[in-house]
Amino acid sequence: MICKKCRHEMGPEELKCPNCGADNPFALKHEQNMQGFKKKYAATEKEVKGFGKAVEGLGKKAAILIVLLIGIVIMLVIESLNYADPDEEEAVRRDAQKNAAAYAQEADAFLERGEYMEYVSYLYAHELMNFPPEKEFGKFRRVQYVAKEYYECIRNMEEMILRSDDPDYFDSLDTDIEIFCMYLDGFYETFEVQKTSEKDEVYLTYILDMDTELRAAMRTYFSMDEAGVQDFIDLSRAKKAVKLQEVLRHE
Amino acid sequence: MNKILKVILNIMIVIASLVFFVCFVLMIQSFKYKNREVEDPAETYAGVFEYKLRHRAYGEIIGDYYSRRMDSFGPVAGYEDLYKVGAYAHAAFMARVYSEKGNQYGIDRCNSSMKDIRSELGDLAHNANEIDEMIKNAP
Repeated sequence: MICKKCRHEMGPEELKCPNCGADNPFALKHEQNMQGFKKKYAATEKEVKGFGKAVEGLGKKAAILIVLLIGIVIMLVIESLNYADPDEEEAVRRDAQKNAAAYAQEADAFLERGEYMEYVSYLYAHELMNFPPEKEFGKFRRVQYVAKEYYECIRNMEEMILRSDDPDYFDSLDTDIEIFCMYLDGFYETFEVQKTSEKDEVYLTYILDMDTELRAAMRTYFSMDEAGVQDFIDLSRAKKAVKLQEVLRHE
Repeated sequence: MNKILKVILNIMIVIASLVFFVCFVLMIQSFKYKNREVEDPAETYAGVFEYKLRHRAYGEIIGDYYSRRMDSFGPVAGYEDLYKVGAYAHAAFMARVYSEKGNQYGIDRCNSSMKDIRSELGDLAHNANEIDEMIKNAP
């Protein structure tokens, strides 16, 4: 820089000319600006430090809280996984959906052979009794309703006929009779509805055959003739139970 | 404001710490549950089955047979004898029904099935005789 007064050369940061002592306006202006900046810097520094002091420790506390919450969530997940028992039925249901066509074919074969008990057991074992896939099992719907009741009737008859004859063993015949009478009423209610609704002749044959078979079972094991079976079916549930008590207890 | 925030955070940390502790205890318990010794139902049932056989409670046995078959159509490990006796009793029962109905195919099927099962019964053959006797004398 050149001094405007004596034309002597001087540094840009020198406030006065080293030769004549005249003021350096550029350096003075710079000095004033620097003073202003320093004041602003000091104010900002004070403000930041004040805020820092005010929120000191908050971040650490928030971090602790977040770590605790994450830990709780992880432990809850582990806990629920430990308490969750494997759902074996779910795997069977998935398998039934996957192989529905093959199972439907097998179910048809059971019906064709007249193995109605096997048919129902097969459907239960493959979780196809209550929620069968409509596409493959829709055709069985009506026969299935009747077969379910038939299954319960025959099962209860077998339980009654083969009950323990040991006088020291618990005698559940009264309960078995009650249950059988309930299912027998259920069978004939379902049978009457489904035999008129079933349009497929093949499946209607199975439905009618279940009735024939159940009547044959009652003739055989309840010592009744056909008319006696019909009279027994027409009785009220309580009277059926009394009649069976007489027959099975030889009273 | 910041003081209130600090107090709230402190309270939340205390609550979270308590919940953390409770969850920790529950998690340890859940491991105990997961690693618990589960009794083999087949082993437990073996004794029950034997007791029922001893008292000729074939009605209950056949009930158990149908209940098991709701889960597994074919015999499962530990329940082989139950399936044999159950299937034999059912075939014996149905043979008389088919006979009354006049269904020769059904009778043959039951007789064949009874014969096959009998050959596999071993020590339980006398139970098959008892079932035959009960069916024959019913009602």
